Amino acid sequence: MFIINCPFCGEREQSEFKAGGEAHILRPKQPTELSDDEWAEYLFMRKNIKGVQFERWNHAHGCRKWFNMVRDTSNDEIKAVYKMGEKPPLE
Amino acid sequence: MLNYNQALPKDTLIQDLQMKEIKPIMKLIIRGKKREFISAIGKSLNILLPTEANTSTQSDKLSALWLSPDEWMIFSNDPIDENTNDYETEKLLNNNISKLNLGAVTDVTDQFVMINLRGNKIYELFQTGSPFNFNDFQNKKGAVTQTILNKIDIIVHNHDKNAVNLFVRRSFSQHLFSWMNDAASRL
Repeated sequence: MFIINCPFCGEREQSEFKAGGEAHILRPKQPTELSDDEWAEYLFMRKNIKGVQFERWNHAHGCRKWFNMVRDTSNDEIKAVYKMGEKPPLE
Repeated sequence: MLNYNQALPKDTLIQDLQMKEIKPIMKLIIRGKKREFISAIGKSLNILLPTEANTSTQSDKLSALWLSPDEWMIFSNDPIDENTNDYETEKLLNNNISKLNLGAVTDVTDQFVMINLRGNKIYELFQTGSPFNFNDFQNKKGAVTQTILNKIDIIVHNHDKNAVNLFVRRSFSQHLFSWMNDAASRL
């Protein structure tokens, strides 16, 4: 259990949130031109890093807004929280 | 079809904590992002929408709760006429907001049940089932939060000292109410 600082509501407990997987994955501009492998790469393959990871989260039981978070997956330390559309902090 | 049936069994008073369903209260959810949306609401209802997170505003007849950066709940301060489901406020907003494509207006009168809690042990009761930190909340009149109580989504509005409005979805209300009665008896 840890506290997440929702960019809209402030500090809330983790149980109010839902994790939404890896952030900043771009949809290919021309999906029809991709091979099956490339498409599968985009659709299914995620990094699952042990260490600092960029993630999407949703404040499901609060404001229901999506935002991005930089989290160390090994100790759940939250490095940064930023809104959708904002530039990710560099390290 | 109107459903003004009582959702909850009866008012209860346990250890100085009074719990009571207030009905019928008109409730609307309004959503919109544009600046014109906020000013149109202000002009139509004579109420300023709170733009600061977790706050609320109040006029003679209505209260507005901040739910998210583009979502607010508006409810009537006093119970409305039971025999009609035409709300002047909703009509006004339909004309001034929905029809002009400024935002969305949804009637949630029957979706949410409003429970009024009174007493000095309200927050002790919340502490038994909510992960939210109520320390600052309880001293700030007009504070609003959406959180979980006994794993059920709720909206809490700090109405006055030792008086709180709690909104819960109708289908969860009975279970939450009986849980609150049970929890209150053990405080």
